[in-house]
Amino acid sequence: MIHIIEGIFQNLKTWGLPVIMLIIGIIEFAYGLYENHWTKNERLLDIVCFIVPKILVKPVIAYFGLLLLPEVLPNAKDIFAWVPFWWGFFIIAVGDDLTQYWYHRLHHQLPWLWRFHRTHHSAPYMGMAMASRQNFLYTIFFSQIYFTTTMVYLGLGYPVLFVTGVKSLITTGAHSSIKWDKPFYTKKWLKPIGWVMERVISTPATHHAHHADTNDDGIGNYKGNFGNMFFIWDLIFKTGIITRQYPKGYGIKHYKQEEWYAQFLWPIFKSKKEGSELAHNGPMVGDATPELLDVEDSNLPVITPAYS
Amino acid sequence: MKAEKETIKKLRSDLLISLFLFALPVLLMLLTFKITGQQPWKNKMPVVKTQTK
Repeated sequence: MIHIIEGIFQNLKTWGLPVIMLIIGIIEFAYGLYENHWTKNERLLDIVCFIVPKILVKPVIAYFGLLLLPEVLPNAKDIFAWVPFWWGFFIIAVGDDLTQYWYHRLHHQLPWLWRFHRTHHSAPYMGMAMASRQNFLYTIFFSQIYFTTTMVYLGLGYPVLFVTGVKSLITTGAHSSIKWDKPFYTKKWLKPIGWVMERVISTPATHHAHHADTNDDGIGNYKGNFGNMFFIWDLIFKTGIITRQYPKGYGIKHYKQEEWYAQFLWPIFKSKKEGSELAHNGPMVGDATPELLDVEDSNLPVITPAYS
Repeated sequence: MKAEKETIKKLRSDLLISLFLFALPVLLMLLTFKITGQQPWKNKMPVVKTQTK
């Protein structure tokens, strides 16, 4: 048994992580944590997003790392191989995760980018099933892939391997519907660790808040809590809230259960659902406050846009 | 549809702070080397492949 676990962690970046995700996913499913939200359309989308990027991303990285970088930086291969491991770890951890924080935040705060990230937020549940759920363009342009590949080329391969391994475990844990962080907020002797943990890394409580379908309950914070591995960026930039609670509902209020292929391949394939953000001529942001609405003369409630 | 002016302003200022945060680990490493007198780059240079006939 110990050899199997060892093997999983030694091969975390290849087959190890998918195996961990499958095991946690089965546990989540067995405990009924997807409730009745995992419809055929959601299942198809989740499975396609779990499998296809693993086939798609590797050739992109190989092209970038093996063909493009030697052309662009011909004399820079292994130039930083002298950097001590733990300094390399620190440099990569900050560089990789802060790059992703920005990539993620911009997709929420710039309206024209929102639809590339919407697929990840449309899931009305949390868990392993939706952790990999992304539009294919969001995956291909995942900024930190290019950062880490460049760092490997420059000679920081081991720190990159270590950081991305730790990061994948943290982000997977933060998406899980198993609220494993709860004891850290309730058990007296674990509370000091919990206090530090929720400020340093993403936890189910802080990341679930980011996937909430509303901010009105004081728990959800879909306009913030952007951190992936580290939560510390949200504290520095004041984009995060910590409540130690979990939202009641997940996803986006204006979700129209768009076709899985439209969610995965937009803008190549558009949704047929009328009024959808992914439909032909659909709004850039579905629940944005209409700019022409005269708020003073209207009794209509003002809805805050999800992207902002 | 454009992002609000306030949002853009906040993005700009946070991006500036981020540039410092990106550089911070490198600066701390160099400072440590300066204090301790370490020069690891002298011990471990990249392997340069040479062609042999």
